[in-house]
Amino acid sequence: MIKIDRDKCIGCGVCVDVCPVDALSLDDDEKAVVDEGLCTSCGMCISPCPTDAIETKLMAQKADTSDYSGVWVFGETIDGELSPVVPQLLGKGKELASEFGDELATAIVGSDVKEAARASGSFGAEKAYVIEGEEFEQYNTLFYSSALAQLIKEFKPRVLLFGATHLGRDLAPYVAGQLGLGLTADCTELSIQEMDGEKLLLQTRPALGGNVMADIVCPNTRPQMATVRPNVFSPPEGLDNGDPEIVEREAKIDPDISTVKILERLEEGEAGASVEEADVIVAGGRGVGSKENFQLLEDLADTLGGVVGCSRPIVEDGWIPKSQQVGQSGKTVSPKLYIACGISGAIQHLVGIRDSDTIIAINKDPDAPIFELADLSLVGDLHEVIPKLLERLRGENGS
Amino acid sequence: MDFLVFVKQVPDTNDVEVDEESGTIIREGVESILNPFDEYALNLAIRLKEETDEEVEITAISMGPPQAKEALRKCLAIGADRAILLSDKAFAGADTWATSCTLFKAVEKLGGADLYFTGQEATDGNTAQVGPEMASNLNISPITYVEEVLDFDPDEGTISVRKETDQGYMKVQGKLPLVLSCMTPPDFEPRIPGVKEIMAAKKKPMETWGSEELEGSSDQFGLEGSESQVISTYPPSSKGPGEKFEGTPEEEATKILQRLESEGFLDD
Amino acid sequence: MAETQLSRDDEFGLTEEQQLLKESLLDWGERELPLTRVIKMNQEGHPYPEDLVKSMADLGIIMGTVPTEQGGSGLTWEDQMLIADLIGYIDPSIATAAGFMAVETGWGFTLNRYGNETIQKEFIKPAINGEKFVGIATTEPGGGSDVAGFECTAERDGDGWILNGEKTFISGTEEVQEMGGAYWVNVRTGPAPEDAPHKNMTSFCVPVDADGMNFQEPYRDAGRMAISTGGFIMEDVRIPDEYRLGEEGKGFYYTMEGFDNARMLIGASSVGVTRRVLEEAADYIKQRETFGKPLAKYEGIQFEFVDLYTRMKALRLMYEQVAKMQDTRYEEAGYGDVEGKPKTFSPTDVVRWISMIKWKAPHLAKEAADKAMHWLGAAGYSDEYVFETAWKGIMSYCVGAEGGANIQKIVIARETLGPEFMPYK
Repeated sequence: MIKIDRDKCIGCGVCVDVCPVDALSLDDDEKAVVDEGLCTSCGMCISPCPTDAIETKLMAQKADTSDYSGVWVFGETIDGELSPVVPQLLGKGKELASEFGDELATAIVGSDVKEAARASGSFGAEKAYVIEGEEFEQYNTLFYSSALAQLIKEFKPRVLLFGATHLGRDLAPYVAGQLGLGLTADCTELSIQEMDGEKLLLQTRPALGGNVMADIVCPNTRPQMATVRPNVFSPPEGLDNGDPEIVEREAKIDPDISTVKILERLEEGEAGASVEEADVIVAGGRGVGSKENFQLLEDLADTLGGVVGCSRPIVEDGWIPKSQQVGQSGKTVSPKLYIACGISGAIQHLVGIRDSDTIIAINKDPDAPIFELADLSLVGDLHEVIPKLLERLRGENGS
Repeated sequence: MDFLVFVKQVPDTNDVEVDEESGTIIREGVESILNPFDEYALNLAIRLKEETDEEVEITAISMGPPQAKEALRKCLAIGADRAILLSDKAFAGADTWATSCTLFKAVEKLGGADLYFTGQEATDGNTAQVGPEMASNLNISPITYVEEVLDFDPDEGTISVRKETDQGYMKVQGKLPLVLSCMTPPDFEPRIPGVKEIMAAKKKPMETWGSEELEGSSDQFGLEGSESQVISTYPPSSKGPGEKFEGTPEEEATKILQRLESEGFLDD
Repeated sequence: MAETQLSRDDEFGLTEEQQLLKESLLDWGERELPLTRVIKMNQEGHPYPEDLVKSMADLGIIMGTVPTEQGGSGLTWEDQMLIADLIGYIDPSIATAAGFMAVETGWGFTLNRYGNETIQKEFIKPAINGEKFVGIATTEPGGGSDVAGFECTAERDGDGWILNGEKTFISGTEEVQEMGGAYWVNVRTGPAPEDAPHKNMTSFCVPVDADGMNFQEPYRDAGRMAISTGGFIMEDVRIPDEYRLGEEGKGFYYTMEGFDNARMLIGASSVGVTRRVLEEAADYIKQRETFGKPLAKYEGIQFEFVDLYTRMKALRLMYEQVAKMQDTRYEEAGYGDVEGKPKTFSPTDVVRWISMIKWKAPHLAKEAADKAMHWLGAAGYSDEYVFETAWKGIMSYCVGAEGGANIQKIVIARETLGPEFMPYK
């Protein structure tokens, strides 16, 4: 629901045009009014208002949430080690915890995870809540959810963050469902906003395929939950912390609640640096033209000490494995250098590369959308430019 | 056997454009389509139905405005046997939690199913939450990022799937009932309904249920039933276009070299 | 293939089913016949790809207006014209829409009407399933438009007939040999009376593998290369009487009906081609700049564009009218009753309208392709774009295929000014 400040409203009508459900109109005094029966609280009218006259009316508080404290990060582990996203979230989590005046902690479920729990201390976690057991050796949604719910009910954290990994986006909504909580997916920014006298976690995420950003809060339910996109935040550096305080609990899980088991792991992709961790990515799209032509990009990537990535059509044509796909349905990357060759720049691809430090794009089409995002745009044929570049690079390096 | 497929009608995000000046979404000329991941989920359900000797009824359910009937009719043309639209002013403004609760009420009214399918995410909301939240309401297991069904044994009541993980793929098995969140594999070609299928869809049952039929209280649906709230929506900040150059390949290579040098990428 | 504002058909009030059909066809087109394949098919030439025939059969659109009891889809002509439009849009070389679909669907529907159960079982049903090809063979070396010039003959032989003569410029001769099938062939079964040369013509369904059927090397067409144009000589071809279509001596009338049904589909397909050409051209002229401005800003180009668009919309309305008239005609006459007479429109009313779109629509498509090539300059002349492919393909339906433009004009003159003003009388 929204509320309109009539003093600020200048009756320009922009909000009326923007509303997707025609809930806004101008009354006889040329002031904007909202039909509360129609308003779906999508938030689209807020930002275009030139005088900031529109605000969201926070939903009525239903429960007392004052006794919830603590910023928790779910400590996802891979083979007993913390997943790379966990340190990233602990880095951001520390900022949030400070502002809330809360403790920063990890919540870990698994088998043989004490090492990982201790490691979280070096990224700023003051406590590590752990439920260990053989039944958690393999990830299982219901088992992990049960354990986590148990910890949440006992320790009442204010905030719980998950990496928006495949596992995180499987587990978090199930936990939210079990406890009836609000959950925001795939956040790319987190901050704190005071609303109605309370500090709330402001969760920012892309929607509509990356065409818009939305700011979201969960005023009523605790913990405020979010899954957070990997590689958006950085792990803290140079911390000199010791081990966190380990708080261990035993899970009371009924093994019959779930029959799902992992039969086999089928890993894919080349052995080599993944696109997510690379500092330099040379990526190709339709413009590369053929599987063979990708050799050019391989050569450039090798020379620059980077890896090859690609856009979705390349994977669909079977030229490059999916693990190297960059974009909304592939990987989100934030390298220091992203060279886009023959990629037109569909929004779904741009969404995956926005956080790169430097983007260089080569494309024949002067109107390619990628040029809107690139720091350096070259209108030309990659099949001619890259060989010339390679020549110069090899000449410069004397190799 | 009963299969339920949860679907959503979404704007074609490939066509969506943002007005540069006002920062608002341009709504004219954007087609509404069946969410592509839901379309894949339906195709998967139909394939399983065709491959088994069991009698299977596939019901497509969608929560949406009256216009969502178009997407449901398409589901019938593609091969669903029955369609139900959950539409009511009270359902509007729902977050994924309220959506899951509303869909759950419909499932209760239908008496449940043996297998539930849905797309991994909707291309407008992009949350990927409804699948697991539904599973949670039903107290059954979800399997997410399902790309392919490898084995389906209706007698044993088991199914094994290939699902995507961060590291690659996994083969996972479970006992029915389950909720499968399906992800379109790269080489997928959706069924295209022909004249026969479209004519048949005309005769298949399509119902609309509102809050009365679902017998819920208004605080379970829509805006009132939501636990997350949008504060504001705005266009993403532009990284902004930088320098643009067109010249000979030699000149362009030089430009790139200069940039690499100045940014320190060549300090080996 | 998403629709653009240019293609929007909302103003024509499509039914839910027609909307779904349109979606299916556009999805099929995007998957099976992107422009790259259209251009490639035109370069590589016939035979027409069988996988496309099969997938069109799977969609149920081949001979769609044949009633369901007889294996068709029971579509209305309104539905089928919409399909023809979309196929022209998807393949602007017109090989699919005209070379293949108009023949199968327009002539096939008519062949089914006048053929008996044997013909239906052996040729119609398989053609609907994309397994065989049915074609039309009227043109001869002696005459195409002038039926008095026909020299092919059929003589009774016991309970059958013996056919002799040559047919030329026949669509699909390679395809029918590859897939199997039959031709609707018109022959003289009696001398042509001076004052009524169209009498004493009989139509037969001649299987392609009948003894004595000698197919000749196909011609090198200027365009729509994906479908073949060839000819055959009938040397004492013996066929049973049950392959005769309708009554002896009445072949001319059935043939005119066949032409009606094929020609109107050509008309609708040409509208689709025009729309595709304008869409592709619009994309180009909006982006391409010259002297600092996009081409689309120049009135010289813009005004030509909107003129073509306006005339295309008019033809769209015209083919809608034709579809409705044909639906009414068959409903009233009864498809199954070959003697049935329509009430609201006479057949000549329909012929007048069909002649108008058969003449105007291909010419508009040709003009659109021509003008688009002018806007694009050198680029338009290359096969990187679809315009030269469209221009060369559609020319066929301007000059003669399924009836020359000049004949259409004579027909309209006959219907408006009077038969006494026929030039050849």
